[in-house]
Amino acid sequence: MTMEGSTSASKRGTLLYILIAALSIFGLADAIYLTIEHITGQSVRCTIIAGCSEVLSSSYAVVAGYPLASIGALAYFSVFSLAILALFGYRIASQLLLPLIVVMCLVSVWLIYLQAFVIHAFCQFCLFSAAVTFALTVLTILVWRKR
Amino acid sequence: MKRLLPFIIILLVLGVAVVSAYYLKRSATEVHPVTPTTNGAGQTTPPITASTGAVPGAEPAHTLGPANAPAHLEEFGDFECPPCGLLHPILVEMHREFGDRLQITFREFPLSPPHQHAIAAASAAEAAGLQGKFWEMHDLIYENQKNWHEAFDVRPIFEGYAKQIGLDVERYKKDVNGEAVAKRIFDDGKRGHSLNVKGTPTVFLNGREVPFESLPAEKLRVLINAELSGSK
Repeated sequence: MTMEGSTSASKRGTLLYILIAALSIFGLADAIYLTIEHITGQSVRCTIIAGCSEVLSSSYAVVAGYPLASIGALAYFSVFSLAILALFGYRIASQLLLPLIVVMCLVSVWLIYLQAFVIHAFCQFCLFSAAVTFALTVLTILVWRKR
Repeated sequence: MKRLLPFIIILLVLGVAVVSAYYLKRSATEVHPVTPTTNGAGQTTPPITASTGAVPGAEPAHTLGPANAPAHLEEFGDFECPPCGLLHPILVEMHREFGDRLQITFREFPLSPPHQHAIAAASAAEAAGLQGKFWEMHDLIYENQKNWHEAFDVRPIFEGYAKQIGLDVERYKKDVNGEAVAKRIFDDGKRGHSLNVKGTPTVFLNGREVPFESLPAEKLRVLINAELSGSK
Protein backbone atom coordinates (compact mmCIF):
# COMPACT_ATOMS: atom_id res chain seq x y z
CA MET A 1 0.00 0.00 0.00
CA THR A 2 1.22 3.46 -0.87
CA MET A 3 1.77 6.16 1.71
CA GLU A 4 -0.99 8.19 0.04
CA GLY A 5 -3.40 5.25 0.32
CA SER A 6 -2.79 4.75 4.04
CA THR A 7 -3.21 8.50 4.71
CA SER A 8 -6.56 8.58 2.95
CA ALA A 9 -7.63 5.42 4.84
CA SER A 10 -6.71 7.03 8.15
CA LYS A 11 -8.59 10.18 7.13
CA ARG A 12 -11.68 8.06 6.47
CA GLY A 13 -11.24 6.39 9.86
CA THR A 14 -11.06 9.80 11.52
CA LEU A 15 -14.20 10.93 9.71
CA LEU A 16 -16.05 7.76 10.78
CA TYR A 17 -15.11 8.25 14.45
CA ILE A 18 -16.26 11.89 14.28
CA LEU A 19 -19.56 10.72 12.76
CA ILE A 20 -19.96 8.08 15.49
CA ALA A 21 -19.29 10.66 18.23
CA ALA A 22 -21.72 13.16 16.66
CA LEU A 23 -24.48 10.56 16.21
CA SER A 24 -24.08 9.30 19.76
CA ILE A 25 -24.76 12.87 20.98
CA PHE A 26 -28.20 12.68 19.31
CA GLY A 27 -28.80 9.31 20.97
CA LEU A 28 -27.65 10.73 24.32
CA ALA A 29 -29.98 13.75 24.04
CA ASP A 30 -32.92 11.47 23.17
CA ALA A 31 -32.16 9.09 26.06
CA ILE A 32 -31.78 11.98 28.55
CA TYR A 33 -35.12 13.40 27.43
CA LEU A 34 -36.79 9.99 27.84
CA THR A 35 -35.19 9.47 31.27
CA ILE A 36 -36.46 12.82 32.57
CA GLU A 37 -39.91 12.20 31.08
CA HIS A 38 -39.92 8.81 32.79
CA ILE A 39 -38.80 10.17 36.17
CA THR A 40 -41.25 13.09 36.18
CA GLY A 41 -44.13 10.98 34.85
CA GLN A 42 -44.79 13.33 31.93
CA SER A 43 -44.39 10.59 29.35
CA VAL A 44 -46.99 8.48 31.07
CA ARG A 45 -49.65 10.96 30.00
CA CYS A 46 -51.36 10.09 26.70
CA THR A 47 -50.76 12.53 23.86
CA ILE A 48 -51.91 12.77 20.27
CA ILE A 49 -48.45 12.15 18.81
CA ALA A 50 -47.71 8.57 19.76
CA GLY A 51 -48.03 5.56 21.98
CA CYS A 52 -45.23 6.63 24.32
CA SER A 53 -47.53 6.34 27.31
CA GLU A 54 -48.17 2.66 26.58
CA VAL A 55 -44.49 1.92 25.96
CA LEU A 56 -43.03 3.92 28.85
CA SER A 57 -45.63 2.83 31.38
CA SER A 58 -45.04 -0.84 30.52
CA SER A 59 -42.97 -3.10 32.74
CA TYR A 60 -40.28 -3.22 30.05
CA ALA A 61 -39.39 0.45 30.59
CA VAL A 62 -37.70 -0.33 33.92
CA VAL A 63 -34.65 -2.55 34.47
CA ALA A 64 -33.65 -3.41 38.05
CA GLY A 65 -35.44 -0.31 39.30
CA TYR A 66 -33.73 2.03 36.82
CA PRO A 67 -35.49 3.58 33.82
CA LEU A 68 -34.31 1.73 30.70
CA ALA A 69 -33.74 5.15 29.10
CA SER A 70 -31.11 6.02 31.73
CA ILE A 71 -29.17 2.86 30.82
CA GLY A 72 -29.47 3.97 27.19
CA ALA A 73 -28.07 7.39 28.11
CA LEU A 74 -25.11 5.70 29.80
CA ALA A 75 -24.56 3.52 26.71
CA TYR A 76 -24.61 6.50 24.32
CA PHE A 77 -22.23 8.42 26.57
CA SER A 78 -19.88 5.40 26.57
CA VAL A 79 -20.03 5.25 22.76
CA PHE A 80 -19.23 8.96 22.58
CA SER A 81 -16.29 8.61 24.98
CA LEU A 82 -14.88 5.56 23.18
CA ALA A 83 -15.22 7.24 19.76
CA ILE A 84 -13.38 10.34 21.01
CA LEU A 85 -10.63 8.25 22.60
CA ALA A 86 -10.33 6.14 19.43
CA LEU A 87 -10.08 9.34 17.41
CA PHE A 88 -7.05 10.30 19.50
CA GLY A 89 -5.40 6.92 18.88
CA TYR A 90 -6.40 4.86 21.95
CA ARG A 91 -6.47 1.33 20.49
CA ILE A 92 -8.33 -0.20 23.41
CA ALA A 93 -11.21 2.27 22.87
CA SER A 94 -11.60 1.28 19.22
CA GLN A 95 -11.57 -2.39 20.25
CA LEU A 96 -14.30 -1.88 22.87
CA LEU A 97 -16.54 0.11 20.54
CA LEU A 98 -17.68 -2.82 18.37
CA PRO A 99 -18.88 -5.18 21.16
CA LEU A 100 -20.69 -2.31 22.89
CA ILE A 101 -22.49 -1.28 19.68
CA VAL A 102 -23.39 -4.91 18.90
CA VAL A 103 -25.03 -5.26 22.34
CA MET A 104 -26.89 -1.94 21.86
CA CYS A 105 -28.04 -3.05 18.41
CA LEU A 106 -29.37 -6.37 19.75
CA VAL A 107 -31.18 -4.59 22.60
CA SER A 108 -32.72 -2.17 20.07
CA VAL A 109 -33.98 -5.05 17.92
CA TRP A 110 -35.53 -6.64 21.03
CA LEU A 111 -37.18 -3.35 22.05
CA ILE A 112 -38.69 -2.89 18.58
CA TYR A 113 -39.98 -6.46 18.78
CA LEU A 114 -41.57 -5.67 22.18
CA GLN A 115 -43.22 -2.51 20.84
CA ALA A 116 -44.56 -4.27 17.74
CA PHE A 117 -45.68 -7.62 19.13
CA VAL A 118 -46.05 -7.35 22.91
CA ILE A 119 -47.01 -3.76 23.80
CA HIS A 120 -48.68 -3.08 20.42
CA ALA A 121 -47.66 0.58 20.51
CA PHE A 122 -44.72 2.54 19.17
CA CYS A 123 -43.00 5.42 20.92
CA GLN A 124 -41.32 7.74 18.43
CA PHE A 125 -38.51 8.64 20.83
CA CYS A 126 -37.68 4.94 21.29
CA LEU A 127 -37.76 4.44 17.51
CA PHE A 128 -35.43 7.41 17.05
CA SER A 129 -33.01 5.84 19.53
CA ALA A 130 -33.13 2.54 17.64
CA ALA A 131 -32.47 4.36 14.35
CA VAL A 132 -29.42 6.07 15.90
CA THR A 133 -28.13 2.73 17.18
CA PHE A 134 -28.56 1.08 13.77
CA ALA A 135 -26.68 3.94 12.11
CA LEU A 136 -23.93 3.64 14.75
CA THR A 137 -23.72 -0.10 14.03
CA VAL A 138 -23.18 0.50 10.31
CA LEU A 139 -20.50 3.13 10.97
CA THR A 140 -18.70 0.94 13.51
CA ILE A 141 -18.71 -2.03 11.12
CA LEU A 142 -17.21 0.26 8.45
CA VAL A 143 -14.43 1.25 10.87
CA TRP A 144 -13.86 -2.39 11.80
CA ARG A 145 -13.59 -3.52 8.15
CA LYS A 146 -10.95 -0.90 7.45
CA ARG A 147 -8.66 -2.10 10.23
CA MET B 1 -2.25 19.33 26.00
CA LYS B 2 -3.10 16.98 23.10
CA ARG B 3 -3.08 14.03 25.53
CA LEU B 4 -5.63 15.75 27.71
CA LEU B 5 -7.87 16.98 24.87
CA PRO B 6 -10.06 13.83 24.48
CA PHE B 7 -10.73 13.78 28.24
CA ILE B 8 -11.59 17.48 28.22
CA ILE B 9 -14.07 16.90 25.35
CA ILE B 10 -15.64 13.94 27.18
CA LEU B 11 -15.96 15.88 30.45
CA LEU B 12 -17.41 18.85 28.58
CA VAL B 13 -20.13 16.68 26.99
CA LEU B 14 -20.82 15.03 30.36
CA GLY B 15 -21.20 18.47 31.95
CA VAL B 16 -23.57 19.69 29.22
CA ALA B 17 -25.58 16.45 29.54
CA VAL B 18 -25.92 16.77 33.33
CA VAL B 19 -26.85 20.47 33.18
CA SER B 20 -29.46 19.93 30.44
CA ALA B 21 -30.92 16.97 32.35
CA TYR B 22 -31.18 19.18 35.44
CA TYR B 23 -32.98 21.99 33.58
CA LEU B 24 -35.24 19.54 31.75
CA LYS B 25 -36.26 18.00 35.07
CA ARG B 26 -36.80 21.40 36.66
CA SER B 27 -39.01 22.62 33.83
CA ALA B 28 -40.98 19.36 33.82
CA THR B 29 -41.70 19.48 37.53
CA GLU B 30 -42.50 23.18 37.77
CA VAL B 31 -45.57 23.27 39.94
CA HIS B 32 -48.31 25.76 39.30
CA PRO B 33 -49.44 27.46 42.51
CA VAL B 34 -52.51 25.63 43.73
CA THR B 35 -53.07 27.38 47.02
CA PRO B 36 -55.66 30.08 46.45
CA THR B 37 -54.35 33.56 47.03
CA THR B 38 -56.43 36.20 48.67
CA ASN B 39 -56.65 39.85 47.89
CA GLY B 40 -56.69 42.68 50.39
CA ALA B 41 -60.42 42.28 51.04
CA GLY B 42 -59.89 38.66 52.01
CA GLN B 43 -61.55 37.36 48.83
CA THR B 44 -60.18 34.44 46.90
CA THR B 45 -58.84 35.32 43.45
CA PRO B 46 -60.90 33.86 40.61
CA PRO B 47 -59.68 30.68 38.90
CA ILE B 48 -57.32 31.30 36.00
CA THR B 49 -59.77 29.74 33.54
CA ALA B 50 -62.14 32.64 34.03
CA SER B 51 -59.57 35.11 32.80
CA THR B 52 -57.84 33.09 30.07
CA GLY B 53 -60.72 33.04 27.59
CA ALA B 54 -61.50 29.34 27.98
CA VAL B 55 -64.60 28.25 26.04
CA PRO B 56 -67.35 26.58 28.13
CA GLY B 57 -67.41 23.01 26.73
CA ALA B 58 -70.47 20.77 26.39
CA GLU B 59 -73.52 21.97 28.34
CA PRO B 60 -74.72 20.72 30.69
CA ALA B 61 -71.41 19.24 31.81
CA HIS B 62 -71.23 15.78 33.37
CA THR B 63 -70.69 16.44 37.05
CA LEU B 64 -70.56 14.58 40.35
CA GLY B 65 -71.16 16.59 43.50
CA PRO B 66 -73.00 19.89 44.00
CA ALA B 67 -72.36 23.00 41.91
CA ASN B 68 -71.74 25.07 45.06
CA ALA B 69 -68.94 22.77 46.27
CA PRO B 70 -65.86 24.79 47.32
CA ALA B 71 -63.53 22.56 45.25
CA HIS B 72 -64.08 21.91 41.54
CA LEU B 73 -62.06 19.25 39.77
CA GLU B 74 -62.27 19.03 35.99
CA GLU B 75 -60.80 16.04 34.20
CA PHE B 76 -60.06 15.89 30.49
CA GLY B 77 -60.02 12.18 29.80
CA ASP B 78 -59.72 9.61 27.06
CA PHE B 79 -61.37 6.26 27.87
CA GLU B 80 -58.67 4.33 25.99
CA CYS B 81 -55.72 6.04 27.69
CA PRO B 82 -54.19 3.72 30.33
CA PRO B 83 -53.25 6.50 32.83
CA CYS B 84 -56.85 7.80 32.62
CA GLY B 85 -57.96 4.27 33.52
CA LEU B 86 -55.61 4.42 36.52
CA LEU B 87 -56.95 7.84 37.56
CA HIS B 88 -60.57 6.62 37.50
CA PRO B 89 -60.52 4.73 40.86
CA ILE B 90 -58.62 7.65 42.41
CA LEU B 91 -61.37 10.11 41.45
CA VAL B 92 -64.02 7.66 42.68
CA GLU B 93 -62.16 7.60 46.01
CA MET B 94 -61.98 11.43 46.11
CA HIS B 95 -65.70 11.69 45.37
CA ARG B 96 -66.49 9.26 48.19
CA GLU B 97 -64.10 10.98 50.59
CA PHE B 98 -64.96 14.64 49.98
CA GLY B 99 -68.66 14.22 49.18
CA ASP B 100 -70.47 17.55 48.88
CA ARG B 101 -67.27 19.56 49.23
CA LEU B 102 -65.98 18.47 45.83
CA GLN B 103 -67.53 18.69 42.39
CA ILE B 104 -65.98 16.51 39.69
CA THR B 105 -66.53 17.28 35.99
CA PHE B 106 -65.60 14.93 33.18
CA ARG B 107 -64.66 16.34 29.80
CA GLU B 108 -64.21 14.24 26.68
CA PHE B 109 -60.75 14.47 25.14
CA PRO B 110 -60.45 11.37 22.91
CA LEU B 111 -57.02 11.09 21.32
CA SER B 112 -57.58 9.56 17.95
CA PRO B 113 -55.00 8.72 16.68
CA PRO B 114 -53.28 6.98 18.44
CA HIS B 115 -56.31 5.42 20.22
CA GLN B 116 -58.50 3.75 17.61
CA HIS B 117 -61.52 3.21 19.91
CA ALA B 118 -61.29 6.48 21.88
CA ILE B 119 -64.04 8.25 19.93
CA ALA B 120 -66.31 5.18 20.00
CA ALA B 121 -65.89 5.01 23.78
CA ALA B 122 -66.55 8.74 24.22
CA SER B 123 -69.63 8.43 21.99
CA ALA B 124 -70.94 5.46 24.00
CA ALA B 125 -70.62 7.41 27.27
CA GLU B 126 -72.25 10.51 25.77
CA ALA B 127 -75.10 8.46 24.24
CA ALA B 128 -75.71 6.97 27.70
CA GLY B 129 -75.61 10.54 29.03
CA LEU B 130 -78.55 11.44 26.76
CA GLN B 131 -80.54 8.87 28.76
CA GLY B 132 -79.22 10.21 32.06
CA LYS B 133 -76.73 7.41 32.67
CA PHE B 134 -73.41 8.97 31.69
CA TRP B 135 -71.58 8.06 34.89
CA GLU B 136 -72.78 4.44 34.86
CA MET B 137 -71.42 4.01 31.32
CA HIS B 138 -68.27 6.06 32.15
CA ASP B 139 -67.50 3.71 35.06
CA LEU B 140 -68.13 0.53 33.06
CA ILE B 141 -65.97 1.68 30.14
CA TYR B 142 -63.06 2.65 32.40
CA GLU B 143 -63.31 -0.44 34.59
CA ASN B 144 -63.27 -2.71 31.53
CA GLN B 145 -60.66 -0.76 29.57
CA LYS B 146 -58.38 -3.79 29.22
CA ASN B 147 -61.26 -5.94 27.93
CA TRP B 148 -62.27 -3.77 24.97
CA HIS B 149 -58.98 -1.97 24.22
CA GLU B 150 -57.69 -4.77 21.98
CA ALA B 151 -61.05 -5.66 20.38
CA PHE B 152 -61.45 -5.22 16.64
CA ASP B 153 -65.04 -3.97 16.87
CA VAL B 154 -66.04 -2.34 20.15
CA ARG B 155 -69.65 -1.48 19.21
CA PRO B 156 -71.20 -4.78 20.38
CA ILE B 157 -69.21 -4.54 23.64
CA PHE B 158 -70.51 -1.04 24.41
CA GLU B 159 -74.03 -2.08 23.39
CA GLY B 160 -73.69 -4.85 25.95
CA TYR B 161 -72.81 -2.24 28.59
CA ALA B 162 -75.82 -0.15 27.48
CA LYS B 163 -78.07 -3.15 28.06
CA GLN B 164 -76.36 -3.88 31.39
CA ILE B 165 -77.07 -0.40 32.79
CA GLY B 166 -80.68 -0.51 31.58
CA LEU B 167 -80.59 1.87 28.62
CA ASP B 168 -83.10 1.85 25.80
CA VAL B 169 -80.65 0.06 23.48
CA GLU B 170 -82.44 0.99 20.24
CA ARG B 171 -82.31 4.67 21.18
CA TYR B 172 -78.69 4.26 22.30
CA LYS B 173 -77.75 2.77 18.90
CA LYS B 174 -79.30 5.77 17.14
CA ASP B 175 -77.79 8.34 19.54
CA VAL B 176 -74.27 6.94 19.50
CA ASN B 177 -73.80 8.06 15.87
CA GLY B 178 -75.98 11.13 16.25
CA GLU B 179 -75.19 14.79 16.03
CA ALA B 180 -75.90 15.60 19.68
CA VAL B 181 -73.20 13.17 20.85
CA ALA B 182 -70.67 14.37 18.26
CA LYS B 183 -71.32 17.99 19.23
CA ARG B 184 -70.77 17.31 22.94
CA ILE B 185 -67.40 15.64 22.20
CA PHE B 186 -66.46 18.48 19.87
CA ASP B 187 -67.41 21.15 22.45
CA ASP B 188 -65.42 19.45 25.22
CA GLY B 189 -62.46 19.16 22.84
CA LYS B 190 -62.73 22.86 22.04
CA ARG B 191 -62.68 23.68 25.75
CA GLY B 192 -59.62 21.44 26.18
CA HIS B 193 -57.77 23.18 23.38
CA SER B 194 -58.67 26.60 24.77
CA LEU B 195 -57.14 25.50 28.09
CA ASN B 196 -54.02 24.25 26.27
CA VAL B 197 -54.72 20.61 27.12
CA LYS B 198 -52.12 18.53 25.28
CA GLY B 199 -52.65 15.07 26.70
CA THR B 200 -54.76 12.96 29.02
CA PRO B 201 -55.46 12.84 31.84
CA THR B 202 -55.25 16.60 32.38
CA VAL B 203 -56.85 17.73 35.60
CA PHE B 204 -57.75 21.23 36.74
CA LEU B 205 -58.48 21.95 40.37
CA ASN B 206 -60.40 25.21 40.82
CA GLY B 207 -59.13 26.27 37.43
CA ARG B 208 -55.46 25.51 38.02
CA GLU B 209 -53.76 22.63 36.27
CA VAL B 210 -52.67 19.84 38.61
CA PRO B 211 -49.18 18.57 37.66
CA PHE B 212 -49.33 14.99 36.40
CA GLU B 213 -47.11 13.72 39.20
CA SER B 214 -49.61 15.08 41.76
CA LEU B 215 -52.40 12.80 40.54
CA PRO B 216 -51.80 9.83 42.88
CA ALA B 217 -54.52 9.73 45.59
CA GLU B 218 -52.28 10.81 48.48
CA LYS B 219 -51.02 13.90 46.63
CA LEU B 220 -54.37 14.85 45.12
CA ARG B 221 -55.95 14.64 48.57
CA VAL B 222 -53.45 17.20 49.90
CA LEU B 223 -54.20 19.59 47.02
CA ILE B 224 -57.98 19.30 47.47
CA ASN B 225 -57.62 19.86 51.22
CA ALA B 226 -55.50 22.96 50.50
CA GLU B 227 -58.29 24.29 48.27
CA LEU B 228 -60.90 23.54 50.94
CA SER B 229 -58.95 25.22 53.73
CA GLY B 230 -58.27 28.22 51.47
CA SER B 231 -61.97 28.65 50.77
CA LYS B 232 -62.98 28.80 54.44
